[in-house]
Amino acid sequence: MAPRGSLLLLALLLLSCALPHARGQHWSHGWYPGGKRDLRTPSDLPAWGPRAVPARGRKTRHDPPAKSKVGRVKMPPPVDPEELLVVQERYRQYRLVLSALRAEFRAEVLQKKREERLIAEGLPEELEEHRRLMAWNEEENGRQRARREERLRREEEEQKRRKSEIAEKQARKMEAFLEEKEKEVLQLQEEAKNFITPENLEARIEECLDNPRNYNFAIDKDGRVVKRTVLS
Amino acid sequence: CHALTTLMGRGGHVIIRFALGGCTNRPFFRIVAANSRRARDGKYLEQLGCLDPLPNAHGEKVAGLNLERLRYWLGCGAQLSRPAEKLLGLAGFLPLHPMTVTGAERLRRRRQREQQTEAAPADGSAETGTDTGTGTGTGP
Repeated sequence: MAPRGSLLLLALLLLSCALPHARGQHWSHGWYPGGKRDLRTPSDLPAWGPRAVPARGRKTRHDPPAKSKVGRVKMPPPVDPEELLVVQERYRQYRLVLSALRAEFRAEVLQKKREERLIAEGLPEELEEHRRLMAWNEEENGRQRARREERLRREEEEQKRRKSEIAEKQARKMEAFLEEKEKEVLQLQEEAKNFITPENLEARIEECLDNPRNYNFAIDKDGRVVKRTVLS
Repeated sequence: CHALTTLMGRGGHVIIRFALGGCTNRPFFRIVAANSRRARDGKYLEQLGCLDPLPNAHGEKVAGLNLERLRYWLGCGAQLSRPAEKLLGLAGFLPLHPMTVTGAERLRRRRQREQQTEAAPADGSAETGTDTGTGTGTGP
């Protein structure tokens, strides 16, 4: 009787444990009613929208990745190279301006500290001296700048003049060259009239044969041609 | 400048950043010069301003800045966090941050694309409607 009673108790216990699962729910979906599965269609709540219940799972960050993620390759986000170039250039200029501003602010801070120190030491004359010297320095800088600008302007003009001269020379050379070439071409054209072509060949041969020329002549010491000698 | 007392060992620099305060669903930022190794809302050297991220009744987001002290800290060599840089860029104290401009461009391009995609289907549907109308009209 007792073992049968205990068996009955066990069966009852098992049944009671199995009963809840008959509803077909899972703790990660939330318990019905009111959980994540509660008559919520995907249309009225988009996946990227805020959730009433957080989507964090049951795993901690120290657990190894799941078997379904074994072959997963994480790719970096796509980058548009044109945009990247533009953005890098913008950053470069931004940092340039920022460093210049920092330098200015640093100078301000140092100046203030110096003044305070001087005032604390009780030497207003030194302050005055310092300010006078700074003003004089500014003046000098201004003058130097004016001179430098003048010099640069003159150098620029000089360069421009030289460049123009060179350009002119080049142009003239090109012209001369072209003229020479034209002359040569014309000369060639003229000579072409005297060339022996396959059509002229026979005529020219006849002409040469008809007019025999005598190339036997003597030259005296002055280079003149002597056709008549003493003997003849 | 301010003599930086190290918290433990060596390191740490002055940084100008936002410290979050306020209540649930009501953030409020204080622009603060603090040691970089302090907690975000922890002890700071000096408060340089504040920012209310929620727009007010007129639709404005209000921020206050102490430019004099900002200059001092920047002259002492303080770094800036990115949101602080962006805010100061929008305020005009610093030049405009590159990502502000880039973000605006991207948004504009996206809106244009959406407008075009809206216009194209609308045109397509209108054309098909007119075509069917004319077809049926000219038909028997």
